[in-house]
Amino acid sequence: MINSNHNSPQRFFSRRELLNRVGGGIAGLAFAQMAAQAAPMRTDPMVPRKPHFPGKAKAVISIFCYGGVSQMDTFDPKPMLDKRQGEVMTGKGDVVVSQGTPGGLMPSPWKFKKYGQCGMDVSELFPHVGGCVDDIGFVRSMYAISNDHAPALFQMNTGAVLPGYPSMGSWITYGLGSENENLPGFVVFSDHRGGPIGGAPNWGNGYMPAAYQGTQFRSSGDPIVDLNPPKDMPRERQRRWLDYLAKLNAEHLAKNPLDTELTARIASYELAFRMQVSATEAVDIAKESDETRRLYGLDEEPTQFFGRQALMAARLVERGVRHVQIFSGGGNFQESWDAHWDIVENHGTHARETDKPLAALIKDLKRRGLFDSTLIIWHGEFGRMPISQRMDGRDHNPLGFTIWMAGGGVKGGTVVGSTDEFGYKAEENRRSVNDLHATILHLLGFDHEKLTYPHLGRNMRLTDVSGNVIKELLA
Amino acid sequence: MRLALRSSFVLIFLSVCWGQSLEERAHGILKKNCFGCHGAALKSSNLDLRTREAAIAGGERGESIVPNYPERSRLYSLATHQLSPAMPPGKKLADEDLETLRLWIRAGASWPADQTVSTAKKDEDAEKKAALRAMEERPVTVEERAFWSFKKPVRPAVPGNAAAAAGRNPVDAFLEAKWSQLKLKPSPAADPRRLVRRAYLDMWGLPPTPEQVAEFVNDKRPDAWSQLVERLMASPHYGERAARHWLDLVRYADSGGFEYDADRHSAWRYRDYVVNAFNNDKPYDRFIREQLAGDELAPSSSEAQVATGFLRHGPDHNVKNEMTRMDELDDIISVTSLSFQGLTLGCARCHNHKFDPIPQKDYYQIQAVFFSTKPQEFPLVGAAEVAAHKAESERIDGLVKPLRKQKTAIEKSARDLILADKLAKLPPYMGEAWRKPADKRTEAQRLNARQIERAIEAVDEKQVQAKMTEAERAALEKVTAGIRSLEAQRPKPIAAAMAMTEEGAQALPSYFLHRGSPSGKGSQMEPGVFTVASWSKFEAPAPPADAKTSHRRLAFANWIASSENPLTARVMVNRIWQHHFGEGIVPTPNNFGRKGEAPTHPELLDWLATEFVAKGWSVKEMHRLMLNSRAYRMASDDTEANRVIDSTNRYLWRMPRQRLDIETIRDGMLAAAGTLERTVGGPAVLPYIDPVLFQGSSRRTWNGKPDDDPTTWRRSLYVFNKRTIRYPLFESFDQPDMMSSCARRNSSITAPQALLLMNNAVVRLQAKQFAERLRREVGNDAAKQVDRAFELALARAPHDAERRQSVEFVRRDDNSLIDFCQGLFNLNEFAFMP
Repeated sequence: MINSNHNSPQRFFSRRELLNRVGGGIAGLAFAQMAAQAAPMRTDPMVPRKPHFPGKAKAVISIFCYGGVSQMDTFDPKPMLDKRQGEVMTGKGDVVVSQGTPGGLMPSPWKFKKYGQCGMDVSELFPHVGGCVDDIGFVRSMYAISNDHAPALFQMNTGAVLPGYPSMGSWITYGLGSENENLPGFVVFSDHRGGPIGGAPNWGNGYMPAAYQGTQFRSSGDPIVDLNPPKDMPRERQRRWLDYLAKLNAEHLAKNPLDTELTARIASYELAFRMQVSATEAVDIAKESDETRRLYGLDEEPTQFFGRQALMAARLVERGVRHVQIFSGGGNFQESWDAHWDIVENHGTHARETDKPLAALIKDLKRRGLFDSTLIIWHGEFGRMPISQRMDGRDHNPLGFTIWMAGGGVKGGTVVGSTDEFGYKAEENRRSVNDLHATILHLLGFDHEKLTYPHLGRNMRLTDVSGNVIKELLA
Repeated sequence: MRLALRSSFVLIFLSVCWGQSLEERAHGILKKNCFGCHGAALKSSNLDLRTREAAIAGGERGESIVPNYPERSRLYSLATHQLSPAMPPGKKLADEDLETLRLWIRAGASWPADQTVSTAKKDEDAEKKAALRAMEERPVTVEERAFWSFKKPVRPAVPGNAAAAAGRNPVDAFLEAKWSQLKLKPSPAADPRRLVRRAYLDMWGLPPTPEQVAEFVNDKRPDAWSQLVERLMASPHYGERAARHWLDLVRYADSGGFEYDADRHSAWRYRDYVVNAFNNDKPYDRFIREQLAGDELAPSSSEAQVATGFLRHGPDHNVKNEMTRMDELDDIISVTSLSFQGLTLGCARCHNHKFDPIPQKDYYQIQAVFFSTKPQEFPLVGAAEVAAHKAESERIDGLVKPLRKQKTAIEKSARDLILADKLAKLPPYMGEAWRKPADKRTEAQRLNARQIERAIEAVDEKQVQAKMTEAERAALEKVTAGIRSLEAQRPKPIAAAMAMTEEGAQALPSYFLHRGSPSGKGSQMEPGVFTVASWSKFEAPAPPADAKTSHRRLAFANWIASSENPLTARVMVNRIWQHHFGEGIVPTPNNFGRKGEAPTHPELLDWLATEFVAKGWSVKEMHRLMLNSRAYRMASDDTEANRVIDSTNRYLWRMPRQRLDIETIRDGMLAAAGTLERTVGGPAVLPYIDPVLFQGSSRRTWNGKPDDDPTTWRRSLYVFNKRTIRYPLFESFDQPDMMSSCARRNSSITAPQALLLMNNAVVRLQAKQFAERLRREVGNDAAKQVDRAFELALARAPHDAERRQSVEFVRRDDNSLIDFCQGLFNLNEFAFMP
């Protein structure tokens, strides 16, 4: 279906679903035979597929710092801000703010230190990540289109500033399928304080079938809403119920035994039944050692929430999930990285919550032997301004910001591009969101110009009509 | 009153000033009144109004002009004295000057070409302009016009000899021609019970009751079937079903999307308009005209005003600027071209269409049709009620205002304390800036002091209260209680339609935009249509003397809703066909261009299109024709011989068995359970959604009612459609996201869908209701319960084996009846078209 010429909506089911046991005495074999006879096979949404060329990464964990992280306060030091503190930012053309009026240049409240063999500058906000810089590739010259949250989130997640387009996780599962049919292929964790602006379209399937939409996972209780049976239908009872259902469905199917949609739907119930066990098991971090739990900071107040999600992400990837997205920050005002005021409190809180678990994720994936095949991406929807807002905050800034990647095919200890002397605009080796998406797809083995989905007479792409792979980041 | 005065005065004024362009007049006003302080000599507040870029960027207080949005432009607000400091200092511009500025900003605030540049530069510019103008032209060739869908349909003869054709349904005749050509054998007639269930699911989106099944099955009249078709079309449930298809197409939602995703409390009136239009068999050409130009077609009809909501259902940016206005217009242009013409026009925003003969100029000529549109909340109550509402709102405003002032005064000392704390932590330059007297500050200090002012304003109320003395807190409490009680008295919003109108009878100038960018302005555009589908020159006549709008939309709508338009009728009959037969004659219903798929039965398509027009654009006539065919009554089961020839049933040798859409599945559960609240129309309902799926983030809310609240048991059509908070059951079953037009849904089959129907509390609850209904209606006899349940859910009696297995299952324990009922909801038979 990659490069297919379908023009019409798709009906999807899993070929492997047909091979699975169906309750009520109908042997899997019978279905396999039926499936083999059923011609033509309709497309299969989640069966593992080969990309265009062998990719280093097999899975993605993306950390979305919702609200927008300040580059000048984290990974892109700007001594000029100290030198010219309080002054008007000049020589940059119009200074575009999202709210109110521009303030004067504001120095970073945090000090920077060199880390690793590469000597990368990292601020006090991220000492643990600092300890991993030799495994990380930074892009300091990112830019995006919108300085408004919703369109900027949509662009980062789907490539388009307007809602209604498939998200990156949809594209990746569409391209690669999933390694574990008993788990959703694309999992999304919201921050414990709430979801991001823009809501569902951030992990939506857009014009693609619902099979590719992100499944929201909770980090406590049942991982998926409606995963487990109602109270008055415990699991054994549900098994008996499913067997009865299968009998009736088998009778209905007998009229049209070759109907692949009917058989796929029968199989989807067995798959759902197995998912109850496998999804619960996948996020059961009680099974992890105390040492691992400490590594992620699960026993400490600030890190426990994000730490749980990071550890769950590692476990999900270990079990074949293709794309896990974790939102750091959610809800309103200071609950996200959106530091319009009091950046010390704001970024201080969010960095404290994520720094240790992020480093743990890198170390833990290495121990599990998954680091080389898992791409970790860290980013927000835009960066922040070098000038002050509401006295001690910073406004949105899509013209220059930093992202980083690690693992699956990324050259560690690299820094790509730079911003101007204030950190306002990407200057050298400017990189767009399309470039970032092209690079991610490349690391997974896709030519971003050829991974297409037909919609309204056009072969649509995650990267629309542009995008160049950031070659400097490739190992 | 003020509005009316203003528009009539604009008319006179515009005709007087004819000859000088809007931008020249606006520039003249700025030059005379503003450049003194905001120009070459002085740049007060750091504002320079001489160039467009500088004016938009604005000065210390932010952007001064937001192109297309006068009400958001500081320049206009200051000039109209709605904001202080009132400008120009010490006087107010004449009303006609203000109106010029308003319209000029509304049209995009363009500056006249610079008069001062050298002759050489002028020549160079002229050359550049000519080159750009040449790029605007992209002629449509004769060969391109020859593509099938751009030629007007010619009514073909019905196949078969005349004698045989007499009295036969033409639909069958066309299909048979293909069958015999391909040696396909049409399937036999469907079992009457399956057939009646199919008809109800298809025409109402609801399963038939046992009584409705019996009525048909026992009807021995020769025209029993066509009588059923008539009964189905006569019910208001028909309109609900037809509306669901239409609402997908026109990206209808009850909220605006983006960050705030604000609820649209009167969007439902458009939904009801669509339901009623189908129920009343409103001629389709009229239906088109009302949605595109109801306000121009029938200014005094509230129904026509509601219809123009069509133009307003797109997603709504919370930020407004030049680009977002272009996006809004693009939404209107796209949804119009997709729904009425089956053409994708979107690409032509930036360049000539790559695959279809659609020049970029077509896009901007069609944009010129819609460019002057302006949203309007059209009151659906009398003028007296509107006036009373306004008076009451103003009365409350008047009482609240002094209380708010008091509140600010009470909070002042606490806010000052917080500020002092904060300043102590910041680098000294901030404190210095703040302490300097305002008139002694440097430019940088002014910027920084302004940030401090804003910081104090923005401090969280709770923080402020924490710093207050007991006495202050008590005083504050009293004042806020006063405000609260006044706010509670505010009158509810008056009933109004989400409607569209325009600035005035004179259309605002709009331009060709090279690369789709407002900075690539080309020639001024006249209104136009799709060149390739237009076989005579399109002209938009001047509006009538008393017009309030340009009447460009009406002219455009008339062109679309015309029998001369080669696409309109074909596109609509194809949609109706798709709804009945699963797949369109053209399988790509929103793409009749070259990248779309060719029709499987081109003659049938053209025959239907011409018949549609001949029957006065009656949609019900089309249903009548299609449902009364023998094809519609065929069984849906496979036959081996046919499968070998046409495995995908492209040539319709059997009826399709596609998965039902989720609305029909949910409504079917409620209907079987006997809980379905069948009221037609009215405001949408919000059922329960687990907050974990949407909590937090900005201003989005979903106040869902509990599962057991019977007011939520309405048809799925009435479930509030919020763009960023999707109802999980609908989302997982491919309900479109309502961001753009959807002509045909995807049909996924996934494990999460199964989880929802297995485990979701509302499904379980309805199964319980179903079980209770069975006990109520047939008592505790398991066999009777099973028989009745099959009748209610599947419109048939169980077969022997099914009955045996089911009775055995039900008898196991008390709760088994509930499990059994939920089992029926999950059956393939329940979820697929029979």
